[in-house]
Amino acid sequence: MPGRGHHGSGPIVWAVIIATTCLLLLVFQKLLWLVVPFLLALILYYFLYPLVRVLIYRGMSRHAAASLVTLGFLALLIVVGLALTPWVAGQMAVWQDTVSRYLHGGLQLLDNSLRNMEASWPTLASARLADTVATRLAQSAGSVADHLEPIAIGVAAWTPSLLLAPFLAYFFLRDGHRFKRFLSAAVPNAFFERTLFLLHEIDRTARAYFQGLITLTALDTVTLAAGLWLLGIPGPLALGLICAVLAWVPYVGSILGGLLVVLVAATDFHDTPGMAYWAIALFGVVRLLDDFVYMPLTIGKSLELHPLVTVLMIFVGGAVAGVSGLMLVLPVLGVVMVIGETIGVIVTDARLMARHRHALALRRAQASADL
Amino acid sequence: MVNFFNSGKTSPRLERLHGLSLFVDLTPAELQIVEGLLHERDYLAGEVIFDEGEEGQAIYIIAAGEVLISRREQGEADVNEPGTSHPRRRQGDFGRVAELGPGTFFGDLALLDNSPRSAQARAASPCQLIVFFRDDFVGLLDTHARIASKISRQLACHLGARLRVMALSVGAHHHLL
Repeated sequence: MPGRGHHGSGPIVWAVIIATTCLLLLVFQKLLWLVVPFLLALILYYFLYPLVRVLIYRGMSRHAAASLVTLGFLALLIVVGLALTPWVAGQMAVWQDTVSRYLHGGLQLLDNSLRNMEASWPTLASARLADTVATRLAQSAGSVADHLEPIAIGVAAWTPSLLLAPFLAYFFLRDGHRFKRFLSAAVPNAFFERTLFLLHEIDRTARAYFQGLITLTALDTVTLAAGLWLLGIPGPLALGLICAVLAWVPYVGSILGGLLVVLVAATDFHDTPGMAYWAIALFGVVRLLDDFVYMPLTIGKSLELHPLVTVLMIFVGGAVAGVSGLMLVLPVLGVVMVIGETIGVIVTDARLMARHRHALALRRAQASADL
Repeated sequence: MVNFFNSGKTSPRLERLHGLSLFVDLTPAELQIVEGLLHERDYLAGEVIFDEGEEGQAIYIIAAGEVLISRREQGEADVNEPGTSHPRRRQGDFGRVAELGPGTFFGDLALLDNSPRSAQARAASPCQLIVFFRDDFVGLLDTHARIASKISRQLACHLGARLRVMALSVGAHHHLL
């Protein structure tokens, strides 16, 4: 059966799979307002589904269980939000100062590094590189408030579509089983068992992907926290967790995480510039571990993808659809791969096609029996 | 929260499922869980449900109609063609194994292993089948072991009865003691 490694897919099937994945990524890039809440809803679905199952087993109807669990989750979010709001409001000024301090520390590190380089290479000194960079950054950086404004507008613009996530998750929880039956009901009898297997594999792939993502986040957090703790950088666990979550966006997220740690190291250890370089080195090592060991072992393994294909497809996804392509390429490839391999097996199975033609002939004969 | 836990409530569909031998031990709440996993299919008389030799993915329960179970007969399929000296195996010669009616099930070995189907199933009359997918059953073993064990017990009883009939037909009584 497809997906179980009994039959390898041919080059044509794989070419179609990769082409379809790229096409879907291009389409999804245009529909990010829908794709992002859909993905969040899927994560929420796989997170809340065990609770719904427990309630159904206790005798509750599926509708009631889905409603209760979704409402409970939303109530929890509201309670946590309300509890945190006064604290967040109180901390805003402190955070703004902290962000300014760390940005200033980072700029100071860059300036010191460039001036050291100028001292070593007269060519750079004659080009007055440090002064030029400092002037350009001063012109473009502006204040923290200038950067917060577009972020706040972005958050406000995304809020309505993000509110779709719990709404979608509720319907996944309530009607997910019907959707599977609805899809399989549209399939001719001859292909029914194969289609059931296909739907099961898609469900398994999605579940494994999101579980792999959680495992990857935990591995990244532990590795980074251990490295940062060894370097003596404050708050290693929190920094590790933030960087691991940022790494959900492959490459770009990791660079942002790396910059964050370098800023913290450069500011809190401004008299020991070597610390920032050590932080960069740590990030380089974790990045390599992440791309070539952790990701193929967790997400790549969950999708039953070869590590080489995983890495290559991440590059392809980035080239085709930018940041959204980097994020979506593996789950999309996983689903397209299962569908492509199954369809490949079905259309090349002469007996299944013959059975389907026979069933169609029977139906035609029945429909025209009394004509 | 009133009437949220409606463990005593059953729908006609659940009552029909409860009447099937495979699910006879299940409570209404357990049936509701299983019901969410079942699929219904309609077949016309003569339509092949599955072929001998193909990998089984599901068990079929007959809700209405009759199903013919038949197996390719190796020995009787060799015939002498006029003008040739060598016997040729005729394609499509099937020997009838059983004809099953409403409430019975077939393809049950597919729930237990990945082995190929041991016989062909074909609709003897227009029939409605309830399909229970193997991976859903495996999922039940993980998540609702109690339900899965009740279904497994019925399955074991069915297989035991079939084994007894087969053994009696070949005279191997002493193996069944």
